[in-house]
Amino acid sequence: MKDLLTRINNAATQKFGAKYAEARAQDLAKTMLTMKEGRTEVVKQGIENGVALRVLINGAWGFASVGSLEEDVLTRATSDACRMAKATSLRLKTPIKLSKVKVAEDNVHINGSKKPSEIPMEEKIETVAEINHSALCYDKRIKSCTIDYLDVTGTDYFASSEGAWITQDKLYVWARMAVTASQKGILTSSREEIGSTAGLEVFDIETPTILGTRLAKRAVEQLEAKTPKGGTFPVVLGPNVVGVFVHEAFGHLAEADLALAGGVLATKLGKKIGSDAVTFYDDGTLVGAFGSFKYDDEGVKTQKTLLVENGVMKGLMQNRETAQKFNTESTGNARAEDFRVEPIIRMRNTFMSPRDQTFEELVEVVKSGYYFKSFRGGQANLDGTFQVGIQEAYEIVNGEIGDPVRNASISGNTLETLFKVEAVGRDFELSPGRCGKGQTAFVCDGGPHIRVKEVTVGGSA
Amino acid sequence: MAALEREQLLNVAQKAVNIALARGAAEAEAYVYDGKGTSVGIERGQITKSSRVIDRGLGIRVTVNRAIGFAYTNVMDRKEAVEDTALRAIGIARTSKPDADWHGFPEKNSYGQVENTFDRRIVELRSEDLVDTAAVMLETALKANKKVLAVEGGAGAAYQSVAIANSNGIATCDSGTIIECSLATVAKEGTTVTPVCFEFNSERNYNIDANWVGKEAARLALSALKTKRIETRNTTLILTQFALQELLQYTLVNAVKADSVQREQSPFKDEIGNKVTSETVTIHDDGLLKGGLRTAVSDGEGSPRQKTLLVEKGILRNYIYDNYAAKKEGKVSTGNASRAGYLSTPDIEPTNFRIMPGNTAPEQLINEMQDGLIIYYLQGAHSSNPVSGEFSVVATPAWKIEKGEIVHCSRGVMLAGNIFEVLKNVKLVASNERKIGQLVSPWLLVENVRVIGK
Repeated sequence: MKDLLTRINNAATQKFGAKYAEARAQDLAKTMLTMKEGRTEVVKQGIENGVALRVLINGAWGFASVGSLEEDVLTRATSDACRMAKATSLRLKTPIKLSKVKVAEDNVHINGSKKPSEIPMEEKIETVAEINHSALCYDKRIKSCTIDYLDVTGTDYFASSEGAWITQDKLYVWARMAVTASQKGILTSSREEIGSTAGLEVFDIETPTILGTRLAKRAVEQLEAKTPKGGTFPVVLGPNVVGVFVHEAFGHLAEADLALAGGVLATKLGKKIGSDAVTFYDDGTLVGAFGSFKYDDEGVKTQKTLLVENGVMKGLMQNRETAQKFNTESTGNARAEDFRVEPIIRMRNTFMSPRDQTFEELVEVVKSGYYFKSFRGGQANLDGTFQVGIQEAYEIVNGEIGDPVRNASISGNTLETLFKVEAVGRDFELSPGRCGKGQTAFVCDGGPHIRVKEVTVGGSA
Repeated sequence: MAALEREQLLNVAQKAVNIALARGAAEAEAYVYDGKGTSVGIERGQITKSSRVIDRGLGIRVTVNRAIGFAYTNVMDRKEAVEDTALRAIGIARTSKPDADWHGFPEKNSYGQVENTFDRRIVELRSEDLVDTAAVMLETALKANKKVLAVEGGAGAAYQSVAIANSNGIATCDSGTIIECSLATVAKEGTTVTPVCFEFNSERNYNIDANWVGKEAARLALSALKTKRIETRNTTLILTQFALQELLQYTLVNAVKADSVQREQSPFKDEIGNKVTSETVTIHDDGLLKGGLRTAVSDGEGSPRQKTLLVEKGILRNYIYDNYAAKKEGKVSTGNASRAGYLSTPDIEPTNFRIMPGNTAPEQLINEMQDGLIIYYLQGAHSSNPVSGEFSVVATPAWKIEKGEIVHCSRGVMLAGNIFEVLKNVKLVASNERKIGQLVSPWLLVENVRVIGK
């Protein structure tokens, strides 16, 4: 493989005029299964092998992707990429340059104890069936349960014209679970995801029974819940909601490509952007976490990147192209979903650091507000407007957790909200998820419980 | 890898079915995909990259004792690829569990006619042509005003062919083309940056209007510079196609899927013949719509695409079905089996979900509005409750209309309610139909929606 990819890169640089060339090959096997109400709808197994070729010519990128390892096919593809890059470069005003990197040569192995490739299919079906069973049996009002399971194993290869050569084992286990409940015309839903880069031992901690019960309990509880009042309220956010806030409302703005595209954080480095209680990291080094890996898809070693420290903006997430513009180094955040797409700046495991408060201390000072425990989707805009949907919420009345609340969502401006973070808890939790930015990336996000002085709560009541 | 011809694709599909049957499958189906896409990308105000993706693959679905197995591969240049994939699918079916509701693959049927879904000029397009298209769009937007910045965008064209064969004698092949360009903009004045505004044009034939996209993307961003707060209350809204696509895809679209109904996940269960929207609304799922973005001869498992009446003047008439959900009720598929290429099995999805246009010109909707909002972009619709239809989203931004004129925009405005109630309050349907993904719709005027100002 090394020789083949090196020859293709050489053809790009020596024959077709590329200044830089890289080849990423992938050799992956996937297993997927879908179960609905205990019925195994389908079990799927697939092979996805292919090569992504990227070249830089006259300051413009050319990219080609093919599902083949045949040398003549790859040579033609890289020649195509070079020709297209040249055509693109004709109108370029500011040529793209890359920051310098430490050229890596490495061979990365994964030492999980329960590798998906070594576990029989029957056992995977059984695990999913158990989650399904414990959700459906929790309460008669649970009407449906859908579970999608995925595991990925294989190897990624990376070779660059600068001399990098990296092989990396890949291992992902992921499942998405959703239930619905109904009673007297009221329909509610609840969902969860789990994900790991360690292997099927993820189900040893979050056992199928725990997962199924938690899902079902939440959906049933919402049947009796009220809808929230719309308006501005003080809120306590659970780690799961803090995570999606850090990821959606802040994290995307701290991706250097979006910052350069007009995002509100481009000019904030070194400046105060939040209260003293706010410290954020994006960390690719956490063992087993869903967003972890050793090298990114530009061959740069991953790291723990400090983004905000005590309210002061310290760094952005960079790839080689943006790092050059910011006159800094890549933080190893360039990721590609697969060989069909180019690497772009993506988050890894993004979180808020814990501090000193207990949950009771966070809640007891709130006279009238909400406790938002678990989210259902979130989104942000470059101007800092964010929205986070909430699937599990409670009223806070006179410093105590009250009745459950259904279908709330919160919204605000990221920077305004960061200054309103009053108190930060001492607990900590990470949740796995998938992030969409044209491509899908596996990530984690999280943090402790926190209290925010006020956010806009969307509600129909 | 040159594009495979129709006959070659059908041969591979047919061969895969035969091999699977010979190796012990009770039934078999093969889906062969061959696609080539070219695109150029805009980043930070200039065209910086181009890409070509050639993707090809084979998915084989089999049953053994009414248990289903599916395997796929994208490595098609190996001689044993078909045989290996068939054997893996059979192996999986043997370890999986039987499904009592499985009543076989679709039967052979006759297909309708499609028009304007293939354009030879797109197949022969060079990346230089796309660079030109993107440049026209970009320059139009940047020339409009110095305050306009191009965030990202680009132009792309794709040619794809799908062949499907099954052991009931289905053998069909469909080739289609698509071309599009899109531009995301912000406007900047002093330290004020608007939310990202967006426009695009997507067509099956080579007739996209890059100039219009650039002009509109610039106009929207500029009009978002002047902001003012609005108060919390119930108000009248014009929902443009961008907003409708967001709001409907997680709610109304889910409600008309037969599997949602069968699994008690749809508020439309037992509602056929009942009023579900205001009588101004008529909706078809039209898989044969001329030039429709989702138009094709057959669906993802070889059933004929068709035109299905879903809502007639507010009355629910039908759900959309794939083969499995249809046979479960003793019905015939409405041609709504959708597949995300060779690596997926069918799911029920609309084809062209068409809200029929009305007679009111869009300008008239604005001109006659005394006090209300026009909504383009929404954030957070995917956090709607898919089952109940309750939503709580933020408009990025909302534009205020007073006495027939757009006067300013407002940021951080939240809209909340239940989409099924909103659909009962549709008062007017405009005449300006356009295609966005699976939605084909004009603007809608709705009354009495809860708006939470900031």
